[in-house]
Amino acid sequence: MPRLLILSISLLCALPVCAQNWPSERWSQVPAPASPAIAALEQYAFVARDDAVREGVRTDALLVVRDGEIVYERYAGPGAADRVHATWSISKSLLATVMGVAYGEGRFALQDAAADYFQPLAQHRDIRVQDLFHWASGLDWQEDYEYAPLNSSVVAMLYTRGQRDMASYAASHGRAYPPGEHFRYSSGDSNLLAAALRNMVGLHEYPDYPWQALFTPLGIDQAVWETDASGTFVASSYAYLTARDLARVGLLMQRDGQWRGRQLLPQAWVAFNRTPFAPSEHVAREPAAGAHWWLNSNMAWPHAPRSTMAALGHWGQALYVLPEQRLVVVRYADDRDGSFSHDALLQRIVAAFAAPGGQ
Amino acid sequence: MSTGKRAWAALGLLLSLAAATWLWHERTQLLAFPDILSAFSAKEYCSCRYVLQNSADYCQSYIKQYLPLSSLSEDAGQRRVLASGLGRSNTAAWVGPRQGCRLIPGSDG
Repeated sequence: MPRLLILSISLLCALPVCAQNWPSERWSQVPAPASPAIAALEQYAFVARDDAVREGVRTDALLVVRDGEIVYERYAGPGAADRVHATWSISKSLLATVMGVAYGEGRFALQDAAADYFQPLAQHRDIRVQDLFHWASGLDWQEDYEYAPLNSSVVAMLYTRGQRDMASYAASHGRAYPPGEHFRYSSGDSNLLAAALRNMVGLHEYPDYPWQALFTPLGIDQAVWETDASGTFVASSYAYLTARDLARVGLLMQRDGQWRGRQLLPQAWVAFNRTPFAPSEHVAREPAAGAHWWLNSNMAWPHAPRSTMAALGHWGQALYVLPEQRLVVVRYADDRDGSFSHDALLQRIVAAFAAPGGQ
Repeated sequence: MSTGKRAWAALGLLLSLAAATWLWHERTQLLAFPDILSAFSAKEYCSCRYVLQNSADYCQSYIKQYLPLSSLSEDAGQRRVLASGLGRSNTAAWVGPRQGCRLIPGSDG
């Protein structure tokens, strides 16, 4: 009997899943020993903060996972291991991951007209689902936040004319370009996807779908996702997770959509996320857009690996995935000026944590 | 009227026409604009307090904008927040552990 047990364990361990560490209810923690490189990282990311003036780099949380284990974790200000944090536009990449599960279930095809799933888009029948993922709907959308509040479509969507039904507000915009040809980052496109998801999975499943499809399988038990008054998830802005839980989504992406031996996201979906949308590659100093993820394929972050992918949010929120270095990094923040640099942080992360031989 | 005066009058008319055209063109944005401050403050303060569970002091500083609010009040029992500024008021409320906070339509006055 013990021989059989040993045999079955060794057979199981011939599969790659056994060689990998996966978080169960908790993460395994193997803190990296103090080093000059970690000191340099902390000197950059954690400076004394003054909440009255709100200047400089203001990191609330920094979490580094290597090979599926936490090697570094530090919190400041309102951050804490057991507390959720605003992710802002990281929500967009979370929606894409939720929709990847729906894609694997055959609920939609990328070439489908988005109007098939969201009737208010009827006057824009040529917008395909994939165009929304590329932020290429062609709708005449203005993404400015606090610097141009009068004409900002985002501010109007979240707080005034659009707040009751954000996707319908986005659909009411006119046309700037033919769909699928131009890149124009748009929170409206993301909320159109969130509204389309309702008809892809059905009214009954929709309110629980992010949990059923993604959060529960990954062991994420503290997620909050706010909706507008029509019940549509505010996919542009309003998902809240702990840093440790967001890192689970990063690990899923690092491992090509696989979670504990189960292909939760089709590999084709992760490939879609990782393929740069060509018209987005030439925006100065900005990473390229994959399908609702950011890609360093254009080396916009010169000190980070080209294969880096990221989910990024307002005021410094970031989830970075470095597949070749087998690193996942979560940074939560409250940066109110332009002093934080993704490249500067990633340069220090790679110096401190890239596994030897992992390049 | 001298030629000089006539030119000034024409320029003045042109400028008022341009201003009127701009006001008409931007009318929906301009009418909605005063709501931004109180709606932003009510919604983000509500999430800061009842989703992120930060202190009232921290959240007041978190939502602070260049323009001051005239008032911000919360009913911690009901988890409702009323913010007023620029002559408008907006209410946000916590609706559940997974759904967090949202603006309450029709609460703007």
